[in-house]
Amino acid sequence: MKRSVLVLLALFQFMLIFCPARADVSVSMRLDREEATIADSISMVVSIAGARESDSPPVFKGMEDLDVTQGGTSSRFEVINGQVNSGIDYTFFLQPKKTGTFEIGPVEVTVDGKTYRSNTATLTVVKQPESSGTDRGPLFLTARLSSIKVYVEEQSIYTLKLYHQTRVSNISLDLPEIEHLTFRQLGKPIEYQSFYNGRSYDVVEVRYALIPSEEGICGIEPSRMKMTVAQPMRRSHRGFFDDPFFSFSTGRTMAVISEPLELNVLPLPGKGKPSDFSGLVGNFKINSKLEPNKIKAGESATLTVLVSGSGNVNRIPDLKWPEPDHIKIYADEPVLKVKEDAKGLSGSKTMKWALVPEKEGRYKISPLTLNFFDTKAHRYREIETSRLSFSVLPGEVKQIQASTDYSNGQKIEGHVKKAVKELGHDILPIHTSIKDLGKGSIVRPGGLVFWFVFIGPFFIYAVVFLGLKLGKKSDRSLATLTAKKAAKKFIRKCRQDGLSSSDLALSFRTYLNERFDLSLGSLTSEEAAEILKSEGADLDTARKIQSILKGLEDAVYTGKGQKACALGEGASQLVRQIEKEIR
Amino acid sequence: MKRSICVSIAIFLMVCFLGPDIIALQTSEPEELFFSSNQAYRQGRFQEAIDGYSRLIRSGHKDGNLYYNLGNAYFRLDQLGRAILNYERARLLIPGDADLNFNLSYARDKTHDAVSESQDLVGMTFFWLKDLSLGELLWGFAVLNLLFWTALLIRLFFKFEWTYYACLISMILWIIAGTSFGLKWYQLNTNNRAVILEQEVNILAGPDIRDTLLFKLHAGTIVHYERSEDGWSLVSLPDKRSKNRGWVKAEAVEPVIKETFLNKCIIPSMRNP
Repeated sequence: MKRSVLVLLALFQFMLIFCPARADVSVSMRLDREEATIADSISMVVSIAGARESDSPPVFKGMEDLDVTQGGTSSRFEVINGQVNSGIDYTFFLQPKKTGTFEIGPVEVTVDGKTYRSNTATLTVVKQPESSGTDRGPLFLTARLSSIKVYVEEQSIYTLKLYHQTRVSNISLDLPEIEHLTFRQLGKPIEYQSFYNGRSYDVVEVRYALIPSEEGICGIEPSRMKMTVAQPMRRSHRGFFDDPFFSFSTGRTMAVISEPLELNVLPLPGKGKPSDFSGLVGNFKINSKLEPNKIKAGESATLTVLVSGSGNVNRIPDLKWPEPDHIKIYADEPVLKVKEDAKGLSGSKTMKWALVPEKEGRYKISPLTLNFFDTKAHRYREIETSRLSFSVLPGEVKQIQASTDYSNGQKIEGHVKKAVKELGHDILPIHTSIKDLGKGSIVRPGGLVFWFVFIGPFFIYAVVFLGLKLGKKSDRSLATLTAKKAAKKFIRKCRQDGLSSSDLALSFRTYLNERFDLSLGSLTSEEAAEILKSEGADLDTARKIQSILKGLEDAVYTGKGQKACALGEGASQLVRQIEKEIR
Repeated sequence: MKRSICVSIAIFLMVCFLGPDIIALQTSEPEELFFSSNQAYRQGRFQEAIDGYSRLIRSGHKDGNLYYNLGNAYFRLDQLGRAILNYERARLLIPGDADLNFNLSYARDKTHDAVSESQDLVGMTFFWLKDLSLGELLWGFAVLNLLFWTALLIRLFFKFEWTYYACLISMILWIIAGTSFGLKWYQLNTNNRAVILEQEVNILAGPDIRDTLLFKLHAGTIVHYERSEDGWSLVSLPDKRSKNRGWVKAEAVEPVIKETFLNKCIIPSMRNP
């Protein structure tokens, strides 16, 4: 056992050392939360994928206002579908020195002499919540709105935090149901440690984007969170099973509610409202590009317009493009990507058009415009794409015509395929081949050949099958008849009065010869038993026969062979038994 | 003597049983008629071509190509309904013919009514049925029948693993081919598709000219024929979602298959082609 464990460990070590790690090295960094109080300690994990070690510890940027303490290091090694993935995670704890918003990172890591950079993250540090003067106990729920005054369709972040000092599980949340107010969860709940009123708590934080659809004062009723709170079992003395590993604790269902809040929903101003306003509220930008900007007539260029920003991104309209002269436009299906993170809803919509100019020349693309209500500037804004243009060279057809004139010395560089254009419509001609004029096929349903083809193979099979079966049956019946005859003859012999031992032994030998089609001149008791066993007789029966024959042999070889023996009845019964067993 | 008697009996039996199955004797008359009809078609005498092809069909030369040519001739005479009717009949015999499918598709495009035929589950599962004729399925089944029983016969003597798999595979194919043949036979026997022949026909609520006009159909539209009464035929639209059905004058519509299919050796009978 110990040896096998050692072998496994050695194998694992061997894999760690010699298995090629994934060639791509990448560095990423993540914080356990994006907002913390000044008293909190924020966990930061720097993950290096594709390497088992770095040349030096990670180097940070943007840490001037934070104290950094190293938490530990852990290695990862996994083999998935034959692909070896390894990595190392460095954990650090950040302690803010002051309030504010900090851009953390990028983190620089050197692996095999090459420096890799991670992403950056934003951390907002706020003051500690003012003490209410009352101790809120070991378990409570708080709710907060990022903004208490919003416009219709503008999002406000509703943050629920469960502070607990005891272990909780099976957490469920009942959100208030409010008309004209939509809750959209932003990411998964996060867990971290924080301080409240000078006490340390474990915190579960969950965020929702609240999107009002009507103006007015909107009361947000308390949210209710239910959970099972662990209560360790009290024992008179601490025993082996009191170890936390065995989790012998009872749970009590508890519910906590958050404080009620109020949201003031302002209407969108009527002043300056564009006539074609789509209802887009937030902060957006628009970008466009045209590729390539030099093509031949008949070829296509792709115009891409990207509208991105934060707010009600699902209201980004599909932009329409007026078809200019001599350009055919083919619109692609727009692609909407919505991102839900701690900051709220954001996303982008990508729209593409294929522009196919029919004539050569220089074409200008008129800008596309988009209206939205800017919640930061508190006014309507119109954004537009940049002015684009592209050049169209003469098409391939003209080139070919020109190039056919070899006197110009031009060369045909390539052949452009075009879609087949239908110039006329008509039916295809009649069939005139004489072989088409048949009067039917050789085989007709119901004809002799038809039935021969269908029934013939089955009939042949049936005949051969029955023939084989009958043949086997006749062989078997002949053998059965012979066996019956031999047994009858032997039993009749056994019934004779005054049957001597030598006669009985001779009769048995004759029975075996006839029964199994043998030609034995002499027969020992062992041989008889072997024959019977090989033919399928029961082992016990064979032994009994062997013992009777042994008795007969002893009588014959001790000079008592001519004397009448009493074994006939037993022998005849055994032969009947043999006949039953060997069928 | 005995031998000559045996030979005579064998010849007699062959004449009696195989005689009807052997390809019809090639006589010059049908060939001439076929060629002259083709010639008439090429020279634009389409009615003459129609008469020729129809005579050949009535005389028993029920060939898919004849129906195809007849359809072409009707098409040239702008009789779209009869053209589609004959293309449909040709499709029962030569469903895989590319020319036929092209012409039928083209003729269908020219019809006025947007009536689609819904495909059933059997048709979707046995998708190859529409591209194979009953004769082709019959031959396919015959070959697989021979293969299957031969494989079983071999297995009687050689009980090897390969004979087991050969039996299994040939049995699966045999079942598929047999089911396909049976389904095609059933489809043809229950085929009640009919074609509107006149340019425009009124579909009425009852078999009387004074009955309410329900809707109108145009030449070439496929309908389902249900029954006839006093010179009127009850038809319905093939789209299963549509409940539209009504009575139309019998001469304005003609079923693609008029009598029991197999009784006429896979050849639909014609009333007035």
